[in-house]
Amino acid sequence: MDKAILKLTVFFAFLLIASLCVGRLLFLPWRANALNMTIVMYVRLPRVMAASLAGAALGLAGVALQNTFRNYLAGPGILGVTSGSAFGAVLAILLLPPNPAAIQLTAFAFGLVAMSLAYYLARLAGGGILALILAGIVTSALFSACVGIVKYMADPYNKLPAMVYWLLGSLAGTRWGDLAPAVPPLLVGVVTLLLLRWVLNVLSLGDDEALALGVNVGLFRALAVVAATLATSASTSLAGMIAWVGVVSPHIARLLVGYDNRRLVPASALVGATLLLFCDDLARTLSAAELPLSVMTSFVGAPILFAILVRRRACLAGS
Amino acid sequence: MLEVEDLWFAYGNLARGKYVLRGVSLRVSSRVACLLGPNGAGKTTLMKCIVGILKPERGRILLRGRDITGMDCRSRAKLISYVPQEFTIPFPYTAFEVVLMGRNPYVNILQGPRAEDEVKAREALEALGVGHLAGKPFTSLSGGEKRLVLIARALAQDAQLLVLDEPTSFLDYRNKLVALETLRGVSRQFSKSVLISLHDPNLALLFCDEVFLMRGGEVVAGGRPDEVITRDSIRRVYGVRVRELRVNGCKLIAPEDVLLK
Repeated sequence: MDKAILKLTVFFAFLLIASLCVGRLLFLPWRANALNMTIVMYVRLPRVMAASLAGAALGLAGVALQNTFRNYLAGPGILGVTSGSAFGAVLAILLLPPNPAAIQLTAFAFGLVAMSLAYYLARLAGGGILALILAGIVTSALFSACVGIVKYMADPYNKLPAMVYWLLGSLAGTRWGDLAPAVPPLLVGVVTLLLLRWVLNVLSLGDDEALALGVNVGLFRALAVVAATLATSASTSLAGMIAWVGVVSPHIARLLVGYDNRRLVPASALVGATLLLFCDDLARTLSAAELPLSVMTSFVGAPILFAILVRRRACLAGS
Repeated sequence: MLEVEDLWFAYGNLARGKYVLRGVSLRVSSRVACLLGPNGAGKTTLMKCIVGILKPERGRILLRGRDITGMDCRSRAKLISYVPQEFTIPFPYTAFEVVLMGRNPYVNILQGPRAEDEVKAREALEALGVGHLAGKPFTSLSGGEKRLVLIARALAQDAQLLVLDEPTSFLDYRNKLVALETLRGVSRQFSKSVLISLHDPNLALLFCDEVFLMRGGEVVAGGRPDEVITRDSIRRVYGVRVRELRVNGCKLIAPEDVLLK
């Protein structure tokens, strides 16, 4: 195994164990009692697992889409998937009785609807990468407007706060039962993207060169996009709208392992998992009231991306 | 080696009069063949049809007698490698990683390249004399170095036919000569056929064994360079009057109007 990936794995494992111990109550493993173990097993472990899986999925979706669209700033939101999921969730909050599973399912379903719509619009616009990006912008704008309408129609004392809370992202109250519906599609997306890591290298060269190198561009691009959508929709249904993790994780991973997707793809998954887990730890420990997860990821992710850009500029100036 | 029979191609749903390729037929039988013609003659379109990037509306493409017109892209990539005119690789892969991608047609796509593929990629870099660039980011290389690395990738692809669209574009005078001499060397050393497109008739006269002159989507002449590139053919295709010169027995052309001044 690559040394950098091994170090990342060890760091992630350390953070995973530390995340189980920190929180409103601080547990020390050597002083564990039955109550502590119950809290760890039924409250913290599902939450830590959810953060890790959602972070890994977002990191993978980000790196896959950046390579597929040959764009450093592409992220899970590029095809309107996150906006679609957001619309599904707020619609479920508006129309259905309070039920986390229903919110998850509609968020997931509308994420897929958004991706399908973007693909359909791209085909109408002539196909190709540019058409898909533009169709993604259109889809995203459309679903963002729909989210706005639903929020405008919502009861401001009861439904609207629930919508805002969901849109800001949170893993508070995640239990094993919440993980169950999200994990299968999330794992299908994650495993598919891990398997596609070599072909992502060739796809990133562009359609003509990839085709001349023997890659069925239409098939593998669709596979990568569908897998990234599955992973993003599932993680959004689990944790709400999470900003930055999908865009920033591949950039951090590139600093550690370079640009070859054979190493970059697993590294992005590990960085994404580590980043979201760390942000979730901060969200639940920094103040007495829990902070929204997306606010935390933005506070952490935005400066990291800026630091990377400055470092790249310095490297270019030095070379 | 390569035969193109009555090839027709149009971009989009254009009327019959808008065909970019209009019944192109040619037969490449030599080591280094060249498509020569003015901008818009259909050289790049013809190359993309041969490589399989564009699907012709009509006609056949045969390689060593085998019809490859409808062949899937993976099988075709084992027979024909392609270096485009413009290459914008968005991520700074190392030169070695770029060449390794040439092994893609032989790689299990879910497992990635094996050790023997890496050996072949290194050998291709060494063969082109750019082994020392293996660890450098492709985006930091000069135009000439990039071109050599892409030729190494085409070599690593281990195909019978190398198709290069304007391999001398964006290169200075020396690097143009180096690139063409390298292609001729690769063709001889590894027994490959090379099909290139050029804009300079003199380079075709100096480096190619066979020339196909194109105009308006048709091949108007084909054969040995000194037979195809003449006063008349250049005036017909480019609308330029030239004078034929002999330097050490080698035919060259020079624009007549410039010489008269």
